[in-house]
Amino acid sequence: MNVEIQINNSPNANARFVTWAPAPCRIRITNPAGAQGQGSPPIRISARTSTNGGALVFRRGTTGAFATTLSLNVPVNGNWVSFFTAGQFGRPSVSLNDVQIQARHGNGNQVIGSTPCTVRIRKNANNLTPAERDRFIAAFAQLNNQGLGRFADFRDMHTNVSSPQAHGRPGFLPWHRAYLLDLERELQAIDPSVALHYWRFDRPSPNIFTREYLGESDNLGTVFFSGTNPLQFWVTDGVPGITRRPFFDTSQATGVRTEAQTLALGTTFTNFRTMEGNPHGNAHTSFGGSISSIGTAARDPLFFLLHCNVDRLWAKWQQQNNRFNPATAASFEEVAANPPGHRLADTMWPWNGITTPPRPPTAPGGTLAPSPVVAAPGLSPRVRDSLDFQGKVSAAACMGFDYDDVPFS
Amino acid sequence: MTTKKRSTKKRQPTKKAAAAKKSPAKRSPKAAFAVATNEKKTSAERAKAFVEAPLATIQSDETAQASLNVLRDREQPIKVRLAALQSLQAASFSVIEFEPYREDYLATLREIVDDKDEELRQRVLGILAREKDGYVQKRLLEGLQDSSKALVPPEKALQLLSYDVHAEAYPVAREIVNDPPSPEAKREALRLLSADANSAPVFEKLLRDKEEDRDVRQISAVALQTVKPKRFQEQARELVLDEKEYDDIQATALTGLAQFGDEKAVAKDQKLMKRAEELGKAKSAKVKKTAKRFLTRYGTEK
Repeated sequence: MNVEIQINNSPNANARFVTWAPAPCRIRITNPAGAQGQGSPPIRISARTSTNGGALVFRRGTTGAFATTLSLNVPVNGNWVSFFTAGQFGRPSVSLNDVQIQARHGNGNQVIGSTPCTVRIRKNANNLTPAERDRFIAAFAQLNNQGLGRFADFRDMHTNVSSPQAHGRPGFLPWHRAYLLDLERELQAIDPSVALHYWRFDRPSPNIFTREYLGESDNLGTVFFSGTNPLQFWVTDGVPGITRRPFFDTSQATGVRTEAQTLALGTTFTNFRTMEGNPHGNAHTSFGGSISSIGTAARDPLFFLLHCNVDRLWAKWQQQNNRFNPATAASFEEVAANPPGHRLADTMWPWNGITTPPRPPTAPGGTLAPSPVVAAPGLSPRVRDSLDFQGKVSAAACMGFDYDDVPFS
Repeated sequence: MTTKKRSTKKRQPTKKAAAAKKSPAKRSPKAAFAVATNEKKTSAERAKAFVEAPLATIQSDETAQASLNVLRDREQPIKVRLAALQSLQAASFSVIEFEPYREDYLATLREIVDDKDEELRQRVLGILAREKDGYVQKRLLEGLQDSSKALVPPEKALQLLSYDVHAEAYPVAREIVNDPPSPEAKREALRLLSADANSAPVFEKLLRDKEEDRDVRQISAVALQTVKPKRFQEQARELVLDEKEYDDIQATALTGLAQFGDEKAVAKDQKLMKRAEELGKAKSAKVKKTAKRFLTRYGTEK
């Protein structure tokens, strides 16, 4: 007997990615040999993990507990049977397809079908394996393509002119979430094993500020890379290189507001979003150089890891306070008088393509990058679409990313 | 009538006061700002308070003005002024709220570009240079042309001018490459010139010069790849084939070829591919790593 297993209900290899959120799967018998007359034989589903690789859990329906194995009755007529899988919290993948979903007939040992999978999770950038780090920076360098690649659009999305779209009002966190997701999907189009990782700026992150990774700064603020590092070819605004002058010892933390202090800002979004000043603003201005001014910050790849941590803090706050539903007043600060881009129903520039005032005069980058894994948040997301990133309120809202220390449950 | 004697015992702080002292982060932004602008507090306390709640600096016209006053006041302790600057710059990321104060902020920064404190000067000039401020660009160029007018060392001036490269900077940058006051100045001049296609011959020459500083050669490699990618690919090939070339330069060359090489041309280049295979077994970990990556791209390595 043979079976076919599809992850995210797709035959495409590009769709074989999961996070901590439940992903719809399905299985069918493609060759019923040895099971004729059995109607719907039992099939046992489990995961086989490579050393230190990702791990999976399963459940039959949209509710209930997950388990490491699942038994399903699958009809010999080839009809699909659905189930769900999710990454086992705390066990993300370290390389592409390092976990396999396997199927066996009943209690038999023989594998009758398998599909590789990746538990693709945003991690603490300081703790990546060398291979993960190298893939991550290679994808970034490729996206930049010495100033000629798609990265130029991301740089152009975050300038002085466009900054009111994304700062100083409630849309700050939703906009940046969409921005990071857009970039992450472009990185994944280059190397699907990659996720956008975060710089935990309230903790020492000495591994990040090295020549093999995001570069080592001299006293002037010029960033140096090893000859092996493709980021040495980084170009923005026609000028190679990165300027970044730390005002702190990079083997230590920055001294900004800690995670615990940030999460304790309050249980309403209104209170929480003051984190835009500290730790967010303070993280930016812990340096001299590009990252410390709003108009030039996106020239430095560290900017995206900084904002990934800002987003992670929001995700964690949401999880701790159950703030995923836009209909819950405390999940957002809805003020009718806020400028466009800062209200729940507003579309977000540049993905909406609007270039008439009060929006900026250009809209670089086009629509938000689609994903082969999930449909959300759509090509032109609204502010509200950024909240339910794990699909807790509506499974269809799941955006296909998760953090290593923010569970689904 | 008896008068109660005043106790000579030192009064113990209340639980509330002790808790507040232990965790100043829990004080309100308003309370933090009050400490920041209180000249009776120590510099350390004031600096910490400023940085704690940057949005407090723009809570109102009064707080914004008070913060700017601290920044521009050359009699204030430098630690406090630097903290005020950091706080205001952090607040500037909240663009909509900061907008009413932006012009005043930039004007205050221009007032203090010649402050006696070098660190403050560098930070202020950096912020203004990133805003493409014409006044600062002019002062930086003047300083490069006449060292008696320099506000910062030449390498810093060049670095700051590279935020908004204009052709006016090229002649002085070229002079510095030819006659550098310091290795750092030469390096920054090269970086600035990498937006200038006419400087390609300079980059090529420096890249091939084994006597040249390694960082300069690396910058030249990147600059050449930027202005004349085809020429860089040719030079990179020669560097890889050169058995006497330094490991880190070979690593840069291989990285450039792996990342940006013409797939068809490189895959057909048997001499280059053979050399890369040899380097894939090299002693140098750097060279080995980049050779393997190169071979992965061009198909002979899994």
